[in-house]
Order: sequence, then structure tokens, then C-alpha cells
Amino acid sequence: MANSAIDSKRQTPKTPVHGQILLEARGLSKGFPGVWQHLILDHLDFDVRAGEVHTLLGENGAGKTVIANILSGYYGKTDGEIRVKGKLVSFDSPRDGLAHGIAMVHQDLMLVGAFTVAQNVMVGLKAPPFSFRLHQVERKLDELVAHYGLQVDPRARVEDLSAGEQQRVEILKVLFHEPEVLFLDEPTSLLTPQEADQLFVVLRAMADEGKGIVFISHKMREVFAVSDRVTVLKLGKMQGTCHISETTEDELTRRTFGETVPEYMERPAVYSDKLAIKVSHLIPQGLEKKAPRSGLSFTLRQGEILGLAGVAGNGQSELIASITGLAPPASGQIIILGEDMTGGSPKAFIEKGVAHIPERRREMGIVEQMFVAENVVLKDYRQTPFSRNTVLNHHEITTHARDIVARFNALVPDLWDTECRILSGGNIQRLILGRETWRKPPVIIASHPTEGLDAKAIRHTWELFLELREQGSGILLISEDLDEIMSLSDRIGVMFEGAIVGVVEGQNADRELLGHWMAGTAAEAA
Amino acid sequence: MEMAHLWGILFLSLHAMVPITLAAIGETIEESAGLFNIGLEGILLLGALAGALGAEASGSASIGLLSGMAAGALVGLLFGGISTTLRGSQLITGVGINLFALGFVALMLTILGAPGFHSVSRDIQVPLIPLGVGNLSPLVPATIVLAFAVWWLLRRTQLGIWIRAAGDNPGAADVAGLPVNALRLGTAVVAGMLAGLAGAYLSVDWFGAVTKEITAGRGFIALAIVVFSGLNPLLALLGGFIFGLFDGLATWVATYPGIKKIIPWQFVAMAPYIVTLAVVAGGIGRVRFPKGLGVPYLRE
Repeated sequence: MANSAIDSKRQTPKTPVHGQILLEARGLSKGFPGVWQHLILDHLDFDVRAGEVHTLLGENGAGKTVIANILSGYYGKTDGEIRVKGKLVSFDSPRDGLAHGIAMVHQDLMLVGAFTVAQNVMVGLKAPPFSFRLHQVERKLDELVAHYGLQVDPRARVEDLSAGEQQRVEILKVLFHEPEVLFLDEPTSLLTPQEADQLFVVLRAMADEGKGIVFISHKMREVFAVSDRVTVLKLGKMQGTCHISETTEDELTRRTFGETVPEYMERPAVYSDKLAIKVSHLIPQGLEKKAPRSGLSFTLRQGEILGLAGVAGNGQSELIASITGLAPPASGQIIILGEDMTGGSPKAFIEKGVAHIPERRREMGIVEQMFVAENVVLKDYRQTPFSRNTVLNHHEITTHARDIVARFNALVPDLWDTECRILSGGNIQRLILGRETWRKPPVIIASHPTEGLDAKAIRHTWELFLELREQGSGILLISEDLDEIMSLSDRIGVMFEGAIVGVVEGQNADRELLGHWMAGTAAEAA
Repeated sequence: MEMAHLWGILFLSLHAMVPITLAAIGETIEESAGLFNIGLEGILLLGALAGALGAEASGSASIGLLSGMAAGALVGLLFGGISTTLRGSQLITGVGINLFALGFVALMLTILGAPGFHSVSRDIQVPLIPLGVGNLSPLVPATIVLAFAVWWLLRRTQLGIWIRAAGDNPGAADVAGLPVNALRLGTAVVAGMLAGLAGAYLSVDWFGAVTKEITAGRGFIALAIVVFSGLNPLLALLGGFIFGLFDGLATWVATYPGIKKIIPWQFVAMAPYIVTLAVVAGGIGRVRFPKGLGVPYLRE
């Protein structure tokens, strides 16, 4: 295996017969011990066949990633059996999976930034410790790149590559081992729609060669673009497997989410002349080199939701830091509710009424080592009735926290005994949403506000945003999720390389145009 | 100045280079894997004591050096174990090693009957190589060869790729099937071994004695040199030589008749430290360290 993996001349290609079952799981179960003991996976049956793209569909927390991790050897299973081409196997590590021809591309990029693409591949090489096969690896990668049309330079340093390119490096990394079954965990999350389409062509080519591809997704459009079969998961339970031709988008959506998510949420017209945010010629700190010299300019009215779409890393984080006071801008002006707040402190922005739902919720949204109740009053503790003369009022804080927890359906064992770090991402987000919106703030800056929530909670959050909008909040919604942006926004802008490259009315938005703006290819589209 | 003086200074410099460079090379290996051991100074000190005791017990200088290495390896194993399996704080562990060594060595010297100073007799010190212009310790060429060997190991071998992956992105290394903690533990033991050797070199080779101040901050200077080198063993060798050069000059100046009357020796003795810090500070900012440095790895 070790030598064949490096040999640039492929030995007799072991092309499996199309339709042959390559990998099969029966009664697969997984439980994590914890506060809420339940099965993460509940007796699942699942198989992958040669020549197919099999999609695992389900919302966050449905157990898609857990299946992939177990079947590729990264996690152990609690119960059930796994067969590779009919033979019973047991995996102790990802290496065992690879030895059986099963590989996984993880959702989070697992790359060594300081290494080149080829050196990253070498990390997983089973070679003698004092050998050095860099050149052979590079040559084989060249072949793979040409064969699949993956567009990556094996000699480039990974740190210098874009997120989309790094995603392709991850795929190249596992292809190097010539797997027969390939799991891809939400591989499109960092890609523009166009890059995703290119990826689908590659996946199809791999399937046509007789590989079994398992594609994990929660985006309906992608499911129909690439799958042969689809398996729906909900809270660790199977909701059935079927051929893509035998189902419809509505049916899959119902099975996945339980209810249909609207394309555009209807809302009453609200019109206010008062500007919540007015930003002129802003160049945020960190974008001095990237952003155009004219900087960023936009306005957000009260009673309006402005969606900012864009692939991560195009200046969204820097913009948010500027307009919440986290980092003073390099140049330009920020006016909040008529007052010039350029370069103000975060506290000044909070006191002005700017609520911030941050993107990295564990790092920026809460203090992980503090208790639930403390986190709920993290921004209000200075004010009565939560404190008087610098002494906290335990009783008021408890009452308030209990109210927020109940209204936002956060699942927390105890207000004063539970450190926030043990909560799931979805529950943390519920607490943050509660903390930031209960005062009905005039300005809300929300970054990926529904990430990690289930369909019901997403719907509640959207309704809450629309309600706040009607009551006069100006909401800046920054998200990579086009569905969310298109459902909620009155207007939609797209950020690309530190600038807003286009703005359209939410009702008239068109996915393809937004995609071109996101990819910076607007000119070609026109 | 006569040629003999130049040779004298060069030999002094090369001998002063050895302990710092050995410790720095070891630290380079473990920092590449993601461990940061601030306890080098303590390991040097323990190595010096173990080296002297080993040499005296066996009557052999080589056994002395090996004893120093063994003591260092043991401390390295302790540090590595706490930093990996037990997920302890590397900083606190390192500080603990330094404090323990200070107290333990002082205690042992007292027990040996000579508080503060314990000399090692000439016949069990490492024999020097006579070169006509002066005598050279065999550890000088060994150190230079080691720097090149470790450079090759880290940059041009599969093992080097594994070690650096464990340091830069332990999660990626784990997914690739590498035993991250075992790799880290291994580098900690090797680093301890080299620091222990550096310590034993002080007592059974260069100085021929153990005192409780024998290391004189060389472990910390080695840490600074690792930062300056950006984890490149060849630059660590250069950094070690720069320190050695000024240390050699200082010794020469301090012992040269006439000069010591003009400049107080304390100022001269300070020079190598100040120069090293200045050089190192000039080098900081250009180097990139592993992303996982100092952070225990835990699979979620």
C-alpha cells in the first residue's frame, strides 16, 4: 500500500463494477456520554455503491458528519457493523479507513499552512522516517491535477492560497491515496456557487471512474445538482434513502426540515427617513491594501434589513470590527443614528444602541468560562436593575436570565452552575440572540445569526428579525448563506475584496447575479 | 595582536558556543513539534550535576556525558508527559523545572560536602584534541555536525514533515493518522537529552567543576537564540557562535593583564548577554513559528 500509493505508474487499476456495494453499515449507532445522554446516531443502515454520488442530507446536528467520521475511521462506533465490499471490518484510526480505500475530506480545512501542497500530502504518507519523496509526490500530484482538472499548484505554499483553492488541496490530499470511497463533508461551504459547480464536475468524473462518492450537504440546490441517491437524516435517525429522480425538492425539504422554508419572507412596508447607519468612504483596519481607494459606502435605514452577502474573507469581519468599535477604521466616517461614531470604543457603540451578534460566537459572543446568567447580562450588568453602585443584583440577573432562556428556548441545565463552554453552538447562539435583541435595539449587526440552529429556531429568528424591523430596528445581516440573505433582506449588497460591488432590492434578487458578484466576475455576467 | 591571541579567542569562542547551541538545537526540535520548554536552564544545571557524578562514579568522561544526557532525557520525558498526555501548562512546567534544579543542585552540592563548588578531577574530564595551535574539545565538531544533521532531519526527511505537522497543525496531523502526542513526547526527550549533554559538557569538559551558578543563564540565552533562528538549526549554530565569540572575548579581556585594570570585569562579563539579546531582538519579527506551539493537543 505504502509503495503503490507513491508509484506514479498506476498498477492494474482495480475498477469496481458500477453498482457494486463498496461500503455498507448496518445498525450503526453512536452515543456520547454527557448531560443529555441520547444516541447521536440511532441504528442507521447506509451503503455506498461504485459509480454513484450519494448525498447525506440533513440539518446541522442531524449526525451527517458523525457517520462520515465513523465510516472513515476517525471516531469509534458504539454499535453496529461495517462492511467493506462484504467483508466485516473494524477501524481504529483514519489510517485503517485509508487502508480499506475509504477517505474523508473534512469540513474544516485540515492543512499545515507553512507547508506546500505536496508537503501537506506527505504528512499522510506511510514512508520510512528518513526517506524524502517530495519529488515523487509532486509528480503524482501533477498527474492527478491534470486528470481531474483540479487547478492547484502542488508546489504552492498553502497559506498563500484562497479558501476555495485550499478546499481543492483537501480533495487532492485524499485523492492521492486513490480511495474507492470518498466522503466530502459540506465541501462547498467556502466556495462561490461557480466554484461549487466546478467541484461537482470533478465529483461526477470521480464517480464515473467507479468510485463511490458521499456528499454531505444541507443545501437543496446542490443535492439536485450532483446526486444519484440521497439519504435524509434527522436527529440521528434515518428518514429514508431514494433515487434523486424519484423525489422532489419539496418532499426532501419536508423530510429534512419538517416544514418548508420560504424563498422570500413577506413583510409589511416600513419606511423611515432616519438612518441607522451611514458609512462613507470607509476603509476598515486591515483592508488598507485590499480595498479600493474610494472605500466602502452604504446606508441602512431604521426599519430596514440590509443583507451583505459574500464569500468569507472579503472584508466582512473588518467592516464589522469598524462599525462596532472593535477596531478604529483606517479612514472614512461612521455615523450611527445621526452621531459621528468614527473610532469610538465598543462601549460607546453599545451605549449608542448597536447590538452585535458576532460570527465567532465562542470567542466573541460569550465568555466560555462564565456561567449562563453572567453571559446573559454581559452587556447590561452596569445598568440598574442588574447592578447598583457597582454591586450586582443576583436576584434581578437570575430573573432576567431565566426569562431570556425561556423565550429563546435555550437548553441549559442551570443558570448559575453551567459554564457556557459546555453548551452546544446552537444553544450559545440562542443566548446571544436573546441578549442582543431583548432591548429592541435601534441598530443590529448580525453575522451568521442562524448558523447551527435547527429549522424551527431559524424560522423563529427570522420572524424575530422581521418583528424588530417593524418596530424600527435597522438590521445589517452579514451571512454566507444566500438562502438566509434572500429570505430576509429588503436590500442585498455583495462584498468582494473590501468593497460593496453591487446592491439590489431583495425581492428582485437573482441567485446567479449574486453569485457572479461574489466571485468578482460581474463583468463577464453582464 | 599576535596570532596566538586570535587562536586563543577562537578556541574560547568555540568552546563557549557548544552548550548554548546544543540546548538550542534540542529546543528547535521540540518547538517544531509544538512544545515550548522554558526549563532548559534547569535541565542544563541538572545535566552538569549528573555529568560530574556519573564521571566520578565510573571514572570515565564518556559515562559522565551519558549520565548528563540520561538526566536530561528523564526531565524531558517528565516535561513531555505533562505537556501532552496530562495537557498541563508548558510554561508552568518549565518554570517548575528551573526552580527544582536550582534547589536540588544546591542541596546536592552541600551533601557532597562542598557547598557552592564541586570540582571534577582532571583525569576524568573529556580529553581535548591537540591541534598544535590549541586544544579543542571533541564536542565542538560534534555540535557543528549535529546542527547540519538536525537541519536535514527537519527539512529533508519524512520524519521532519511529521514533526513539523504536529507542531503547526496537530489536528491535521491527527487526521492523517499521526500519533501527535507520541511525536511530541519523543522530541521532548531528545531535547532534554541534548540540554543534559550541554550541562554535562560544562562540568566534565569545559569548566571541570559544578557550581550552582554554572549555567549562568545559558539556557535562557539558548531560548532566545531559538527565537532568533526561526527554528532553523543552522541559524541557531550561528547565534550560538555569536554568543560564544563575545563570551570568548570577554574571558580574554578579563584575563589579559592591563585591560582588567581599565574596565571592571563585571562589565566585560555582561557583554555577551547584551550583544546576544541585541542580535536576537534584531532578528525577531521576521520568523514564523508553528501555529500549535505551546498548546496541548486534544482531539474533540
